[in-house]
Amino acid sequence: MQIYINNLSFAYGIKSIINNLSITLNQGDYLVVKGKNGTGKTTFIKCLLGVNEVKPGTIFFDKTDITNFNSWTKFGYVSQSFDNFNYEFPITVSELLSVSSTKQTTASDRLKLLDKMKIFDIQNQNINSLSGGQLQRVFIVRAMLNKPKVLILDEPTASIDKQNKEFFYQTVEDLNKEGITIILITHSDEIEHLNYTHILTMFDDYTNSFDIRNKGGNE
Amino acid sequence: MFLSFITDLFQQDFMLRALTAGVMLGILAPLLGSIVVVRRLSFIADTLGHFSLVGISVSLFLSSLGFSYFFEKPLYLGIAFSVIGGLLIEFFRRSYTNYKEISMVIVISLGAALSAIFFALASKTGSLYQYLFGSILTVTNYYIYLILVTLGIVSLLFIFFGKQIVAVSFDETSAKFLGINVSIFQLIFMIMLSVVVSVLLEAAGVLLISSMMIIPVAAGMRIGWSFRSTTIISIVFSELSVLVGLWLAYSLTIPSGAAIVSINIIILLVVALTKKIINARRISKIDKNQIK
Repeated sequence: MQIYINNLSFAYGIKSIINNLSITLNQGDYLVVKGKNGTGKTTFIKCLLGVNEVKPGTIFFDKTDITNFNSWTKFGYVSQSFDNFNYEFPITVSELLSVSSTKQTTASDRLKLLDKMKIFDIQNQNINSLSGGQLQRVFIVRAMLNKPKVLILDEPTASIDKQNKEFFYQTVEDLNKEGITIILITHSDEIEHLNYTHILTMFDDYTNSFDIRNKGGNE
Repeated sequence: MFLSFITDLFQQDFMLRALTAGVMLGILAPLLGSIVVVRRLSFIADTLGHFSLVGISVSLFLSSLGFSYFFEKPLYLGIAFSVIGGLLIEFFRRSYTNYKEISMVIVISLGAALSAIFFALASKTGSLYQYLFGSILTVTNYYIYLILVTLGIVSLLFIFFGKQIVAVSFDETSAKFLGINVSIFQLIFMIMLSVVVSVLLEAAGVLLISSMMIIPVAAGMRIGWSFRSTTIISIVFSELSVLVGLWLAYSLTIPSGAAIVSINIIILLVVALTKKIINARRISKIDKNQIK
């Protein structure tokens, strides 16, 4: 799926957060959105996901304007610190994945993903008994369940240890090699070792720059 | 006392009706209650209950004007107003996106004010007490049918859309990526909840509806190990409190809603205490093993 964003701007009231942002991503690209806290990274994702109304500017998914787009199952999304999820009420990993599956996703698909993410053994555990790293793997499995074309990861390594971080970045790279478009939002500087293809940098003064990474590995 | 209760249960029509209504409500209240708790909307049943009371008071007012139909069947307007209350909550929630609880305060205040006005205007206000605290022992056949229809509709919704209901309740943001229209879901859920709250009104009373929905779930959450087990345990606790509460209400001539809710609270306390004792023993066992 092609993602085409042209001259996107967004403001909360009179406070302008995003100014004239333009990017084009093709299927299989790997975009890192980099910037300090408060530079508008999550606001950008909210625009991309249709939560924030885009005005002015345009977003097209495969030549469909975002206002007419309704194939959201093509997106997988792992939110920042899982703060939207209510994980105090008892629900097992397997129950969560079962209710998060569309008709096309079978039990076998779920088990394969759990195995791939090395969390096969915790499928009957309660969500609220999991560690940060395990929880993150569960949410990646959930985002991948319905075979998305684009995977959006918002500050995914904020609350996990080094070992889980390495596993996470490796998994993202593997998924990208399978042809899935990756959009990774981070405020971390540890991005040099990632095999991203594009980088969007968001600055303190709410300006931004979009660059294609050279094959040599430098931005 | 208990034996005469059992005999009356199957010999007296009113007791059999109370039992039938109680058993069905015992399923309905915690089933919806579990979703309400997951969505962190525990206060909503109270709000809808107050708005449903507006419908009851309007019915009494209309019956005092000569429309006797509304006196016999006040719950129809109760349901209609509860749904209006639910829609008003949704409307205000969208206006105050960052202060969603404000919507409840607006609707509950409006509900209480309108109820007071129409109860004052109606000349027949004798049943106000019944609607505040509930009376399952006096329910009629029409009420039984009403619960049966509601239970049927809610069960069908859970059978066909149970997965989506649970998915949206746990995580509204991600529900979009499952192809669920969250706005439509919220609207349907609010209407379903409004109807259930009004149906509970007659048995539990406006002041005790939320207790019947929430407290069994609060107890179930303590010991449930999955969503399914928590919901089933909540229903078992709810049924237990209905049966024991009915017996107490009959034997001691106290309001049935109050009796049922009191048993619910006792169950919650027993569960919480037992869980605490078991956890303390487990920790001391682990400590002893570490010392060894």
